[in-house]
Order: sequence, then structure tokens, then C-alpha cells
Amino acid sequence: MLGLLETGSGFWSAIIWVIVVLVIGGIVYYIRNKGEKSYKKNTEQDKPFISGNPELSKEGSHISASHIFWGFTEALKDYYAPLVKTHTGNINDYASWIVILMVIILIIVGVNG
Amino acid sequence: MDKVKLNKYFERSLWVFHLNTGSCNGCDIEIVAGLTPRYDLERFGIKLVGSPRHADVLLVTGPVTHKMADRVKRVYEQTPDPKAVIVVGVCGISGGVFYDSYNLLGSIDKIIPVDVYVPGCPARPEAIINGVLQAWIKLEKLREGMKAAQAK
Repeated sequence: MLGLLETGSGFWSAIIWVIVVLVIGGIVYYIRNKGEKSYKKNTEQDKPFISGNPELSKEGSHISASHIFWGFTEALKDYYAPLVKTHTGNINDYASWIVILMVIILIIVGVNG
Repeated sequence: MDKVKLNKYFERSLWVFHLNTGSCNGCDIEIVAGLTPRYDLERFGIKLVGSPRHADVLLVTGPVTHKMADRVKRVYEQTPDPKAVIVVGVCGISGGVFYDSYNLLGSIDKIIPVDVYVPGCPARPEAIINGVLQAWIKLEKLREGMKAAQAK
């Protein structure tokens, strides 16, 4: 199990893998240990800096990586919210909008014509 | 101040976080002027950082608007100890030309403790550099005090 596995295009050794993990882990631990130690636990010093704004709850601040338009929709949410409400998914509602807008356009054309 | 004493303070870099609490940007431009080749503060290890969590000194400009008050307090609390606060410009000291405005809470020392005041409208780069030096000296004394307390 701990022997050398030749694959034809390289090799795999569990012992070398463990040694590499230990060496990299040691380097990471050393660098981390050199960091600032004076932060006080359970105070603001322990929290991330978000331009001075309070930290939101994890649920409130979750934005999926795929949501690239988040900033756009957040900034224009007052505009989008009523539009989203009108998109009911019911074909009768959409047909009603066409009829209502058609009537309005015909009235405008009729009055001006 | 003699050369030996200055060298002692320049042993480690001084990282500064700049916070604008409602300034007109006049003082902010003078702070940037301190980093340009004419004065080149970075050659002494004095540099602006992007987070108060990395900073030794808070450099605050402008009077405190109502919306900035709790943010100023939070930024101050997020700065690790020991820390020093420098107010640059007369607006942060007394309100300056914005004194008694409906939109202001007042001077910075109403919100957080201030160590060094640098007056001016805007403050000159030389004055800002002198203020940073005063804060540095105070900070080193605080560090020495903390070290002595830990040794006991």
C-alpha cells in the first residue's frame, strides 16, 4: 500500500504525498504564526472590515458566485420589484396587458388623429 | 530631536489607515501629496493601507456626518492596539467652515479619542508629516508601556 506506483506517465507514492503535506503545512503554520496576535477575541477587532459597515448575517449576505448581476439588480431593485410582480406567469394576464395597452394607444391615436 | 532617537522610532514601519468622515477632499489630497516624490513618506516605511485591521494609526479627515458616526466608531474599534488617531484639518477639529451644520454630529473627538490634531484648511503636507511623527512617538511609548506590563 505504501509502495511506489508506476503509472507509465509518472508515479504515485503515499509517503512522498504525506511528506509534502507536512512540509507545506509547516510552512503555512509558520507564516500564520508570524501574523498579528494582538487582536482581541469577540470584539470588533475579530470581525472583517466592510468599509466600516456592520457585518450582515451569513444568510443576509449570501450571494452565489454565479450571480454576476447582483450589484445591478440590487441597485435597481425599486425599478425591478414592480416589474417582477407583473410577471405572473399567467397567459391571461399577459393578454390583458396587450388589450389594455392597445386600447390606450388607440385612444391616443384617435384623440390626436 | 536628535538622529539617534529618530532612528529608534524608525525601526519598524508605520502603517496608516485613512478615513474620510465627510471631508471636502482638500486634506485628502494633501495626504496623498505626502506620498508623492516631493516628500516620499514611503521611504520611511510610512504607507497607507486598505484596512484598519492592518493599521497602527488612523488618519481622519473631515467633520463627522450623522451617517458616518457609527462607522468611525467601528473602524476605530477594529484597529488593533496600540493605536493612535490623527485628525487632519480644521473640520475634524472643530467643524471648520461646516461648523454647526444640520448634517453634522461635530468634531471627531466627540466620537473617538484623538491623539494628534493637525490644523489647517487644508493642512500642509509638512504639518501632516509632523503630526504622523508625533503619533509615531506616542505609539512607541504605548508599545514600550505594553512591553513593560507584559514583562511584569
